[in-house]
Amino acid sequence: MKPDVGTVMQGFFGTLLGDIAPHLNAEYSMGNVGIMGMMMFMTAEEYDRAADIRVAENAEMRSLFSHAAALVTDDALKKKLAAAASEKEGSLRVTALNARNAALAALLIELQTHVEASDASWARNLEARIWDHLVAATERRKLPLPSFG
Amino acid sequence: MEDLARRVAAYLAHRMPQASNIEVSRVSRIHGGASRETFRLHASWEEGGAKVERPLILRRDPVASLIETERDLEYNAYRAFHPTGLPVPEPLYLETDLSWLDRPFFVMEQIEGCQAGSPFNAEPYGNFAEKIGRQFWTHLGHIAAADPHGIGFAANMDPIAPEECWKRELEKWEKVIDEDELEPQPVARAAIRWLKRNPPSPAEKISVVHGDYRTGNFLFDAEGNIRAILDWEMCHLGDPLEDVAWAVDPLWAHERPERPGGMIARDEAIRLWEEASGLKADPVRLRWWEIFNSLKGLAIWISAGKEYQTGANRDPVLAFSSWYCTDVHNRVLARRLAELSKEGRA
Repeated sequence: MKPDVGTVMQGFFGTLLGDIAPHLNAEYSMGNVGIMGMMMFMTAEEYDRAADIRVAENAEMRSLFSHAAALVTDDALKKKLAAAASEKEGSLRVTALNARNAALAALLIELQTHVEASDASWARNLEARIWDHLVAATERRKLPLPSFG
Repeated sequence: MEDLARRVAAYLAHRMPQASNIEVSRVSRIHGGASRETFRLHASWEEGGAKVERPLILRRDPVASLIETERDLEYNAYRAFHPTGLPVPEPLYLETDLSWLDRPFFVMEQIEGCQAGSPFNAEPYGNFAEKIGRQFWTHLGHIAAADPHGIGFAANMDPIAPEECWKRELEKWEKVIDEDELEPQPVARAAIRWLKRNPPSPAEKISVVHGDYRTGNFLFDAEGNIRAILDWEMCHLGDPLEDVAWAVDPLWAHERPERPGGMIARDEAIRLWEEASGLKADPVRLRWWEIFNSLKGLAIWISAGKEYQTGANRDPVLAFSSWYCTDVHNRVLARRLAELSKEGRA
């Protein structure tokens, strides 16, 4: 079998900090090795989950837009929301998912700004739903930080 | 490093014509401080028949940095506060002539035998947390209490009215996000809208604002005494609560708002600051500055990410800031703004 990426990254993190850093004399180099090691530790987690959290985020935003399209009164925004809600996820490469995530996030900003300006009860509920999404999305993206005791 | 040592020695000879046999050795770059290249070095020379030894710090502008700042701001802060008794290194020379070291730089006293706590360690100060915390918040109170004109800090700085502080800072950091974001930032944009809709009351007074007063930006000795408050690159005139809010930001020391920066309890910290500053930490205004500072953090990390992505600066600390700190501040702001949204709609 081949070791998976997470195992390799965590292994490299240990090697960098345990075997390589102690043999460096320059303080600046040691600091950089420490940072790079920590980022390898994070990459181990990110590699495994990157596509999953982006697909989940994009699906949540499309669902939000589908719901919002029936509520907002601005015709131009309504059309954009409906169009985005009906899109399907294509390639699962992280770069492709990021590009779609960025487009959806831009529309989310537009929707949230629109909703904040309304006193209607649908706006209150929609604003709460947008925040539920943003809190969940930011929590999902939480990166692990190794503990050094 | 030999070339840098030779060039620094030539510069010191230029600044100290009375000195002879100037030697610069033990040049070592210090990690962190991505807004400046920071070097520790040892200078020795002969003067008046005596041998002089002096450990120094050299801070040189990088090609691109985490925080785009003017080095004379930081140097000016050291010059203003050094005579007041606040623990800061003695500033020695500020140089903008590029012929010496290719980029602007300044030289200051090196504070030896000290360390800085890591803001990414849950217990950055161990058994000294209480002792250091009391000094940390008292020193910040003294910075707030200082007369910016009286100590020479305000010279050559744009004046600001108490009711305008928030606006100037928000505009400045919103512009950074506008210029540097690599993808849309829903949480940052929501924060900006909230901050504009809910402006704070005017500052109680115009003070020196350090701009980056936090865990990691001061040195302490083996007895737990704070010996040097560093990293004044973002200092300016403004509302002193801005510094209080940055120091209590959840990013420092693992998102433990009840014990900001891994030092003392928040209530005690605020009490010490009020006592030393003679000011009141109005909770509503402080909350505004807390939201603002998490946004300012986001702006800094977004900018760091752009520097790294474009290849302008490949210091790994920029990539780390962009990954880790952006996520923390997005999470912190999302939680707080969601609560405020509910309160506002109730």
